[in-house]
Amino acid sequence: MPVKWVLYWQPNQGSTVSTQILNEAAQCAESISGVKEGRWKATLNYYKPLLRDQSSTHHPDSLPRDFLGISLPDHPAKYYFIIRSQRIVVEADASIQIIMEKLQSYKSKVSLHFDGFQYHLGDFRLRVGRVVPVHSESIRGIVMEVEYLPISSMEKARKVMEEFVEIWHEALSKRSLSGKFVNVELNFGEFGLADNYTPQHTGVQYAIVMAHMIATVQPAVRG
Amino acid sequence: MVLFHLLVSTEILFFCRLITVSVCCAEGFVRSEEDNSMECVVQGIIETQHVEALEILPQGLCGVQRERLRVHELTLKSLPNLGVVPSEVRLLCDLDQPEPTWTVKHVGGSMRGAGADQISVMVRTMIQSKVSKNALRMFYSLGYKLDHELLKVGFAFHFQRNAHISVSVSSVSKMPKIHAIDETVPVTPGMQIVNVTASATPENYGLCTCRNRLNPWELCRQLLRLLHLLCRMEVVLHCKKFEAKS
Repeated sequence: MPVKWVLYWQPNQGSTVSTQILNEAAQCAESISGVKEGRWKATLNYYKPLLRDQSSTHHPDSLPRDFLGISLPDHPAKYYFIIRSQRIVVEADASIQIIMEKLQSYKSKVSLHFDGFQYHLGDFRLRVGRVVPVHSESIRGIVMEVEYLPISSMEKARKVMEEFVEIWHEALSKRSLSGKFVNVELNFGEFGLADNYTPQHTGVQYAIVMAHMIATVQPAVRG
Repeated sequence: MVLFHLLVSTEILFFCRLITVSVCCAEGFVRSEEDNSMECVVQGIIETQHVEALEILPQGLCGVQRERLRVHELTLKSLPNLGVVPSEVRLLCDLDQPEPTWTVKHVGGSMRGAGADQISVMVRTMIQSKVSKNALRMFYSLGYKLDHELLKVGFAFHFQRNAHISVSVSSVSKMPKIHAIDETVPVTPGMQIVNVTASATPENYGLCTCRNRLNPWELCRQLLRLLHLLCRMEVVLHCKKFEAKS
């Protein structure tokens, strides 16, 4: 599977994220000869434990507060769970969601869509998309996936990915936007993941990106 | 769990015309009605000396080769206060593969009602999902603990007759020490468990000859009738839990 980096838009201090940035990023992709291929969409759910006795203090702190699940467009038959604090990532069939529903121990408290357009640029595939809560148009953030199609080794792809991101930053800087796309350096080994790229790597990146986004990005009032 | 004690004859024919069952989906995690599964289950005990005879019949009648079965089954239960109701989930590790593979399985309660009372087999919901190897660690983190674990060793036949049918015969062992699959103790020495399951999904709807197409009990009634007719055996009904805790 090709190596993929997931970046997120970090606005400058005092700025918010907006649809305009998404539009500028899309135009930037086309300006560097990106060929629009179509739309893409992913869905992420944050789960919280259901407690029979809310007043009880039985085991509340031992239960994770960062348990999330994500479905990815390239693997519609699969579902990925991540507990970031425990460095756990699990791949499962999509039917795992039905099992979790029947267990009635966890419930989705927040659902987010990632959607936008994807572009083909030579050996790269680029996806730019907004982050919006389900049933809302309020844009919560912007993400970008950069995929280098020929290589599966993260280490071998590192240099060429860095060069691409540098070219991208240069092209985007001409549009005078208040912010930049950020790539978060990750130690995939902590999650038990190897150098060969897998969808689980993507799941982990989205979990980390969301954690950073929640901590640093102010939501826009309206997209 | 209902069992019936089978004295083995040499003529066991597994022939199923299957009904589909429409299952309504709940909100939340559920994505597709097609993902919900019902299964009909027939279980019994066979003396180990008769296993060889039992093995020959499905192979001849179903035209499939037997597969080895060596599964480590872990039953996890939710911690107190976790969940709307106490819950249980099974993790199955297939040890017969070059690289062990894992499956998560949720088994629902048996169907109840007037129809269910007429038959002595089980119809229940069953959902399973393949998972990566650290699923156990994930469930521990989510507030589940190991209740008991078993090792099942034997063989199985899997075939398709408009739906997936499985026939398995296995010895069931418990582990005196946690995860000690090399130091197991048989739960029923000299006896093995026979398990016949048939799945029912919306895809094979309309293939049954039952009077009531929506009646899931007809499948089980037919299966039991065939077993009675074709096997010279005495059927004794027992009710007991045969999966002992370790």
